[in-house]
Amino acid sequence: MDDKMTIMIVDDEKIVRESLFHWFTKLGHTVEKASSGFEALERLEKNPFDLLFVDIKMPEMNGIELLEKVKTEYPETIVVIITAYGSIESAVKAMQLGASDYLLKPFKPDFLSLVMEKITQQIKLSTEYNYLKGRLEKITRFDNIIGQGPAMEKIFDLIPEVAQSDSSILLTGETGTGKELVAKAIHAKSPRSHFPFIPINCGAIPDSLLESELFGHQKGAFTGATHSRKGFLEVVSGGTLFLDEIGEISAKMQIDLLRVLEDKKISRIGNCQSVAVDFRLISATRRDLEQALAAGNFREDFFYRINVITIHIPPLRDRKEDIPLLIEHFLEKYSHETTKRVDHVSRDTIERLTAYEWPGNVRELENAIERAVVLSKSRTLDSQDFAFLQRTPAMFSNPMSLRDMEKHYIQRILEECGWNVTRAAKILDINRVTLHKKIKRFEMQKNIA
Amino acid sequence: MKSKKRIIGVLPVGDVPELAPKVIAAHIVGYLKLAAEILTPLELPAAALDEIHRQYNAATILSGFNSIPFDHYDKVIGVFNVDLFIPTFAYVFGEARQGGKHALVSLFRLTGGNEGRHPPSAILWERAAKVALHELGHLYNLLHCVEKNCLMHYSGGLADLDDIPFYFCRYCNTYFKDALGRP
Repeated sequence: MDDKMTIMIVDDEKIVRESLFHWFTKLGHTVEKASSGFEALERLEKNPFDLLFVDIKMPEMNGIELLEKVKTEYPETIVVIITAYGSIESAVKAMQLGASDYLLKPFKPDFLSLVMEKITQQIKLSTEYNYLKGRLEKITRFDNIIGQGPAMEKIFDLIPEVAQSDSSILLTGETGTGKELVAKAIHAKSPRSHFPFIPINCGAIPDSLLESELFGHQKGAFTGATHSRKGFLEVVSGGTLFLDEIGEISAKMQIDLLRVLEDKKISRIGNCQSVAVDFRLISATRRDLEQALAAGNFREDFFYRINVITIHIPPLRDRKEDIPLLIEHFLEKYSHETTKRVDHVSRDTIERLTAYEWPGNVRELENAIERAVVLSKSRTLDSQDFAFLQRTPAMFSNPMSLRDMEKHYIQRILEECGWNVTRAAKILDINRVTLHKKIKRFEMQKNIA
Repeated sequence: MKSKKRIIGVLPVGDVPELAPKVIAAHIVGYLKLAAEILTPLELPAAALDEIHRQYNAATILSGFNSIPFDHYDKVIGVFNVDLFIPTFAYVFGEARQGGKHALVSLFRLTGGNEGRHPPSAILWERAAKVALHELGHLYNLLHCVEKNCLMHYSGGLADLDDIPFYFCRYCNTYFKDALGRP
């Protein structure tokens, strides 16, 4: 690190200014001199200074007054007070106003050297802190959501905005894109952050069990209900309920939840007495709920209840610029967790990993890095460590014509969008009519299977 | 281009042990491969004496040196046996202006340490030579060096000074060569 600073000596005595000027010049610092507090402020207005040495006893504006002004207007500038007439009162006052040190003239050369060492350290720490803080805020502003591309920037901007309201949020996106992380971030930024965040994977729990989990039950309500139990809708009180895979819940459960969202009341299974509940609902799905709605598999009223705000989390292949950053993050995480010193990924491997399609998204990338770190025998991960990854696009192994490649790609996008032509055309960035023409020309059909 | 012959003048000022300028000159020749000459001693400048502290103001002495034509010499090092100070500092072992022509070395505080006893003369001469080479570095525009084993590293006390070897680090050495116009 370059320890050289921009220093200003503020003293009405020329001899002192000159003496300190030569002293600091020999240390390689850039030094300026000011003969009064007013001159110092004028210079500060023109250029920033890292450090000010200020004499207390000066006419018109004394050193303490200057210190106060500097600390108000330029809080990052370090001020050291120097005086030949030290008193406990002035020392206390100077320190209270934010002076970094208080030196009595004349000082021993090695004492000034120590003060400078301390200040250099202070500046170094503060610079590092600001750098890391900025970097952390920029890159991992919300928990572990990593990204600095425009797609994630948009989400980062949206999170604090939507967090302040109580409206229901629907998070859409493929599996492994980090929907739960976004839900957690919204909760963390919301006024409900001091209350619980309860995630439930609706797709992993049978419907009957889900009802009991959510609403709770009274002792004896069903076989095996040996104790009364509060449901998550009660436990979450004040907090955020995150229902993942909301598209998987039954029509009955949709009605039950709709009622809860409207009445803000629940009844435990086997108990008629209703209990008031207060929570914010965030749902997530990887399915196309609009298509399910059109097919009659999802209730329209429930859909609009849970979908006041929609946030789409793009798949990793659509934000490839974040892949190197994610690699770095997971590499650090797993080399730390496994205590294995694996701290590099070769350049061509990064390129290969960036080119890979990542059908399992960030989760797949994380697992791949974890596996590679665990099995790696060297400090640097190379292509061999990722040999287990499938080369998804067949075109890499089987060269195909541009026409076939176009057909293949359009087919894939259409399938991912559930053959919603409007959405597919948007992703492909072409007109809907053009897409219809291409479907016809390539004789593409919806894959029934 | 052939570099011109540089001669460093070593100037005893006041009552200075005869050996001191000789040792300093020898170290300049030995370590920097520069020619060094011992000049005719000067009287202590009375104007530089601070009556209250009984110390000599190094800044005033340096200003005074500016009025003496040392044309024959590339740089001049004044050697003193009195206590030197610069305003705001209690004392200095030596003083020089960055890129200037004159430097000062004081033996006064170099005799300290060693548990209150006068140190062996070898240590005293070694300290004086280190301060002289350090100040000469400043005259050739070298800054204080972060390398602790370099003569340009700042030493505020005798213990630090004793820890530093007779050695300019690679960086300072290169800088010195450049300043002296050496390949």
